[in-house]
Amino acid sequence: MKFAIQRDQLMESVQDVMKAISSRTAIPILTGMKLEATTEGVKLTGSDSDISIESFIPAEEDGTVHIENIEPGSIVLQAKYFPDIVRKVPDNTVEIESDHTKNVTIRSGSAEFHLNGQDAEEYPSLPQLRTENSFDMPTDLLKRLIKQTGFAVSTSETRPILTGVHVSTEEENLQFVATDSHRLASRKISLETEETLNLPSVVIPGKSLSELNKILDDTGDSVQISITDNQILFRTKHLYFLSRLLEGNYPETSRLIPNESKTTVLIDSKELLQSVDRASLLAKENRNNVVRLLTKENNQIEIHGNSPEVGNVTEEVTADTIDGEELKISFSAKYMMDALRAIDATQVKISFTGAMRPFLITPVDDASILQLILPVRTY
Amino acid sequence: MDNKNRQPRVILHIDMNSFYASVEMADYPELQGKPLAIAGNPEERKGVIVTSSYEARKYGVKTTMLVGEARKLCPSLLIRRPNFDRYREVSKQLFAILREVTELVQPVSIDEGYMDISDLADRHPPELAEELQKRIFADLKVPCSIGIAPNKFLAKMASDMKKPMGCTILRKRDIPKKLWPLPVRDMHGVGEKTAEKLKKIDVRTIGDLANRKEYELKNLLGVNGSKLHQRANGFDEREVDPEAIHSFKSIGASTTLAEDTAEETEVYRTFRELAEKVEGRMKRKEVVGQQLQIMIRYNNRKTVTRTRLLHNNTNSREIISREAVDLFEEHWTQQPIRLLGITMSELVETNEAVEQLNLFTYERVAEKEPLYKTIEELKEKYGSDVFKSSKMPLPPIRTSFQKDFLDGD
Repeated sequence: MKFAIQRDQLMESVQDVMKAISSRTAIPILTGMKLEATTEGVKLTGSDSDISIESFIPAEEDGTVHIENIEPGSIVLQAKYFPDIVRKVPDNTVEIESDHTKNVTIRSGSAEFHLNGQDAEEYPSLPQLRTENSFDMPTDLLKRLIKQTGFAVSTSETRPILTGVHVSTEEENLQFVATDSHRLASRKISLETEETLNLPSVVIPGKSLSELNKILDDTGDSVQISITDNQILFRTKHLYFLSRLLEGNYPETSRLIPNESKTTVLIDSKELLQSVDRASLLAKENRNNVVRLLTKENNQIEIHGNSPEVGNVTEEVTADTIDGEELKISFSAKYMMDALRAIDATQVKISFTGAMRPFLITPVDDASILQLILPVRTY
Repeated sequence: MDNKNRQPRVILHIDMNSFYASVEMADYPELQGKPLAIAGNPEERKGVIVTSSYEARKYGVKTTMLVGEARKLCPSLLIRRPNFDRYREVSKQLFAILREVTELVQPVSIDEGYMDISDLADRHPPELAEELQKRIFADLKVPCSIGIAPNKFLAKMASDMKKPMGCTILRKRDIPKKLWPLPVRDMHGVGEKTAEKLKKIDVRTIGDLANRKEYELKNLLGVNGSKLHQRANGFDEREVDPEAIHSFKSIGASTTLAEDTAEETEVYRTFRELAEKVEGRMKRKEVVGQQLQIMIRYNNRKTVTRTRLLHNNTNSREIISREAVDLFEEHWTQQPIRLLGITMSELVETNEAVEQLNLFTYERVAEKEPLYKTIEELKEKYGSDVFKSSKMPLPPIRTSFQKDFLDGD
């Protein structure tokens, strides 16, 4: 195998593929990165058996030549050293060559590295997905869905299924739901497809989605999503991202979302966010970063933060409207800030049903995104 | 009040003057004499001021003010980030100095504490106070004010009367002249809300409060009203309790088994008993805790401790014993056991404790919401003691966990 490649293109692909490579894996060869050269281009592969990523660099694209002097072949390189070598080579072009003894030479400018490679035949082949269950969506929309829900997955393994995002379809709607059992984030979109979707409901590991989100560019180009019983594939023009799915039943969450409200507040999202942020400044020292919210007369909301050792802060924010019963409620400042940032609307509606019950945050007049937060009980 | 048989006491209240700012000035002398504020986030105009130096207060800079606002009042204001680790360190040194005088020192926060010097008969209290103040200033370079009085409340009020570096004596006979003319808002224990309520019945000074009928205040403010009435008249029976802070760090119980055993039922029974003891101790101290530790000592004297962080604060015997047994099963080597112990730590006072509700289980709590509301209302009216004594009598506190452990054999 031999080829000469533009360093920047190679670097970008290497970084993407590295997201799937772990130094701690049961299969030793997976600590390496597979390079495969054909006359069309070079393909890089990395996998930790939960996530597998393939990135393809075409030899030529839109009249620009990325790769020259290709002699087809393949090799597996130690992922511990390869990315740093590519990052630090002196010239814009990198030449990579492997001989029959699996020795690899990397040349750039006057620098020459020799690495021991491994036989690509020993690298496990990625499973081929055979499925009818595919649909397309714009990449930037997928990224938005991930950002608006992914933060709410559980980081604790006590209920492994909650470490994933539940993805389901209903008629032409696609819904993402995540909950760590203290808050819940949900986003629904309508997929403009002709045929009705009949996809199985799946739970994608939160970690896979967060890595995918890092790799995908914020463009309107479409990404194809294919689903089987135990795997999901995201495919763009030059990227192939395969993730294992979480096994088990995701809890039924729709019935947990209250559909009535005893106190409803309409408020400027940014003002509320900043005020909670300030109150949390003095609430951080208390272990749970809890702030207190009180409704007052004349559309005033009082936000209060307190740490016995440090001091306290009280601030009034003016809401646009407050309807219903008077309310005193405590909650995690972090959950509130995460939710408001995810919604990203100028004005939000908060629907409370009591101090010990979950409350709902949505944009005004938009039911497609909702954030649910469980309050904190003070004694 | 049954204070007839009691010896008159002498209590000091030591209050550090704008403590965080003073520590910064001690550490960075170039800040001395300048308007200085400590704020959460100095770069952001919206950071909140935690404390400020006397020089800054002259401009009207106040705690909890936004940095932007404070800068407007005092353009030359210097702002620094808090360094809590450093403040804790200085605080530790401060209390060490106080304990050289007497063991009866009760820290109430990072920068204030009480001392009971009644037994130091050979010392003239004002002299002792001044000596302490000079010593603290010499060693730590931070100023403090000291109140000298026959009880905690008066000592606290006295330390407020002259700042910084004041030493103020407040005797019972001084009350009408020195205490009563002060606005009632300045009274320790009277917050903004209480002051507002008092204003409605035309109580504006501490003297107004002292000269009202106790039942009138009780009607208005519940038990807190009676308490304030007594205090305003100079009565306060609270002891200086050196354990008040330490005793919150952990609460535990342990027991040496009648004979070495590898019987699981015997182990479970023992854990249930220990959990019951721990629950009793926690309820008496009015704390809940989140960290559980078990101790297992085997018949070969090998001792292991294992710790688990619970999901929520608790003081319930059911949860404590269930988690203890669970933890035990994870770590037991099947060898015969001589001693078992349970300790709860990461304690917080019950009224400061919080429980993050869970989406899948909150209904259990929410169902009781009307009950909690009622309890809260009753507490406001009659004080938090109402709900204490319904359980069976609590076992007396004997020894701490550590002592049990040492006395184990």
